[in-house]
Amino acid sequence: MTTPRLSTDGLTVRFRLRGAVVHAVTDLSLTVQPGELLAVVGESGCGKSVLAHTLLGLLPRNATVSGRAVLDGNTELLTGRVSGVRGRRVGLVPQSPATALNPVRTGRRLLEETLRAHGRPRSDADGIAAAVGFDPADLDRYPHELSGGMAQRLCTALALAPDPSLLIADEPTTGLDRPLVDHTLDLLRRRCDTGNTVILITHDLTAAQRVADRVAVMYASRIVEEQPADALFAAPAHPYTAGLLDALPDRAFRAVPGHPPMLTALPAGCAFAPRCTRATDACATMPDLSGTARCHHPLVEQEVAA
Amino acid sequence: MLDALPRRRVLRLRPGQTGTLVAASVLAVAILACLLAPALWPLDQSAVALDQTRLPPSWAHPAGTDDLGRDVSLRALYGLRVSLLVGAVAALVATVIGGIVGGIAGTLGGPVDRLLMRVVDTVAALPHLLLGIFIVAMLRPSLGAVIASIGVTHWLSTARIVRSELLSLRNRPFIDAAISGGAGRRRILTRHLLPHVLPRLALATTLMIPHAVWHETALSFLGLGLPPHLASLGNMINDGQGSLLTGAWWASIAPGAVIVVVTLAIAALAVRWREYLDPRVRAELQL
Amino acid sequence: MSRRFAGAGRVVRRRLLVAVPILVLTSIGMFALGAASPIDPAKQYAGSAAFTANPEVLAQIRANWGVDDPLPVQYLRWIGNLLRGDLGWSTSRHEPVASVIAARAGWTLLVVSLALAIVLLASLLLGALAAYRRNGIFDRTLRAAAYAVEAMPVFWIGLASIAVFALALGWLPAGGLTDVTASGTGFGDVAHHLVLPVLVLAISQAPWFVLFVRDGVADSLRDDHVLAARARGLPGRTILFGHALRTALLPFLTLIGTHLPELVGGAILVETVFSLPGLGGVTVQAALGSDFPLLAAITLLTTAAVLTANLATDLAYAAADPRIRLDA
Repeated sequence: MTTPRLSTDGLTVRFRLRGAVVHAVTDLSLTVQPGELLAVVGESGCGKSVLAHTLLGLLPRNATVSGRAVLDGNTELLTGRVSGVRGRRVGLVPQSPATALNPVRTGRRLLEETLRAHGRPRSDADGIAAAVGFDPADLDRYPHELSGGMAQRLCTALALAPDPSLLIADEPTTGLDRPLVDHTLDLLRRRCDTGNTVILITHDLTAAQRVADRVAVMYASRIVEEQPADALFAAPAHPYTAGLLDALPDRAFRAVPGHPPMLTALPAGCAFAPRCTRATDACATMPDLSGTARCHHPLVEQEVAA
Repeated sequence: MLDALPRRRVLRLRPGQTGTLVAASVLAVAILACLLAPALWPLDQSAVALDQTRLPPSWAHPAGTDDLGRDVSLRALYGLRVSLLVGAVAALVATVIGGIVGGIAGTLGGPVDRLLMRVVDTVAALPHLLLGIFIVAMLRPSLGAVIASIGVTHWLSTARIVRSELLSLRNRPFIDAAISGGAGRRRILTRHLLPHVLPRLALATTLMIPHAVWHETALSFLGLGLPPHLASLGNMINDGQGSLLTGAWWASIAPGAVIVVVTLAIAALAVRWREYLDPRVRAELQL
Repeated sequence: MSRRFAGAGRVVRRRLLVAVPILVLTSIGMFALGAASPIDPAKQYAGSAAFTANPEVLAQIRANWGVDDPLPVQYLRWIGNLLRGDLGWSTSRHEPVASVIAARAGWTLLVVSLALAIVLLASLLLGALAAYRRNGIFDRTLRAAAYAVEAMPVFWIGLASIAVFALALGWLPAGGLTDVTASGTGFGDVAHHLVLPVLVLAISQAPWFVLFVRDGVADSLRDDHVLAARARGLPGRTILFGHALRTALLPFLTLIGTHLPELVGGAILVETVFSLPGLGGVTVQAALGSDFPLLAAITLLTTAAVLTANLATDLAYAAADPRIRLDA
């Protein structure tokens, strides 16, 4: 059996605010193998981005983290030193590329600076830019002179510069038109085909369907369903996943009614129950993620481990 | 999300507020001492004791004596009386000037507003101390000249605050509602605008007092401030310069230390008050 | 680079459009104050002789000076003279105003620029370090010190530093520009004498700058692009100075200009404390003697210098922020 690229166990993140605690990520256990592309999907505000920042050690100081996250079987991500890991072995394509670029530096300076910090020659800059479809001639522009799609590709190039074996892409397709979305997704897919791992954080199920090997659905800080992509899209087990699929334009095109709960005030039982048509009294207790879905009344029979 | 959190408006002592307590105590003691000084420790400004000149600090003279043998601590107490009184009056004058200018600019708007703001920019571009010196020089050093000098150089922030408060209030729904409800200009001013502007004005005046004291002290230090019979802390620092060079540092340093401690206490309390009026400031500081 | 400076001329013109009314307003205000002053320039010119001089001589002086002309005429004559480079006659120094200023402005400019350079360097470094470990021991200490220093009058800091470093320790001279025994102004001697005044001025002005940089960097450390730079695994020094400080610098640049008037005020006081032969000493002397021509000239020149410095910071801002196009 190969060593997993990343395995998390009971990963939990809380933010202390004045008078409140934000339950950002709760009891999250995941395993991603080398060469695998895992999509983490869910509505905004469900804790997806916090997961990315947690794995990179970028949480603000009012956050407390418990559980474990191990990279390549030998590196603790939550407690160990970030030097040599952050950027180098775990890369991040940040959300909202427009604000993620330093407004007073050209793309070339950002890219060369990143290469130098990881001991790679600055002359690699043009090649890396070209590989993500960013015209090297445009590297001398400032961020405000770039279109949204160009800024997105520059951010991807910056994350790929140190050639990390685990790349976390946080909503890399937001605001892009379809051809650019497909280009970006195919780029991520190709990285996995050479043995690297990608975690694609997105609310775009179509994107996940196009490239993901496996999909984890997050709702209110927890994973509520995790399945191979084919199975999940063919027969979702959790009513929330089914709802998300129903919201797609080529299906019923009908959004899940209601709103997700505030992460400062989560119910003790299933957090989705108030929006769920299948909810019963049983849903007042938190269901386990024993099979594929964290649900008392799954849509498909689960093979419950004896 | 933060808006949903309960917000305590009750002043309650927390670890970060020890400073507030200290500042309040310092100020209370200082003001009490100023008020009671003439009754408890009468001072004869002209009294000299030439056999007791430049004595170092001791139990009898906590801050030593000056070159005429006068007790520095007692003179500093009387100097503080003068400095605080002049500072408070001058801050009030500055607030009145700023309130009038800002009030006119904020209620009339348009070309009047633009002209007045140009005047504000002009005074802001001038070195305040230089302008203050010029005013005192032309009016001859005196109590009135010092207050005028402070008033003319320190009204800008108040004018800006009042103007922007009025401009933003003009666009608030409840003013529109009052106008459409048939309320007259005067009623809107007294019932709706003043209650909003006055607390901020009071705060601005308080925040101004330390600046007024520093300005007065600087003028008096240069010999351009208050006359000797109204000796302020600045006059004392000036008087003590000669003693300092002969090693009697306390004659200048002690009155200066009084300024530092008292103005710091006033500023600390004013800042706390501003946080209370405008909790957003505190939220930014804490998060 | 050159492309971004295409509109520099326009910025200069726009700044001048603001500066000229400011100078005109200032001069009118000063003139009005001078006219309202109870001091009779003729008697002042005659000095102690005024008490003995007969009224005809005084009347002659008044006529020569046009003191009794209508005020607008007097004002225009004064402004006309200023513009032609005739700054007038200093009644307190008994020499032309121009030569008083020429002999001293250089020293004031030197003290102010040295202090400003030190303040900028120190505040950028200390402010950034404090922001990096927000609410850490260094941050708390620095902020407490800044608030305390802000409450200290600059001349009091000067006197205290003389008491400690000149008198008690004997490390540095207590005042003046050169040793009493010196025949000329040697570089080493002058430098030795300027250490205390320049440092005192710098320290007294530092709190505002330090706190501003500290707050700016603390904010910008939470910017998306700084978080992204950290995610790329860049070293802490690069993130702090190359990214957080670099973007926090932009608003800082524009505010340096607004703080210069205070620096000038501090310089006047420091020069007085340390008996330096700059403009500060003669300003006080002129004020004590109600010397309108000298005081007015110094105030106007200083204001013009501050406005010029504001223009310089505008241009620096445009150079530092690629998003600003001067010709836009």
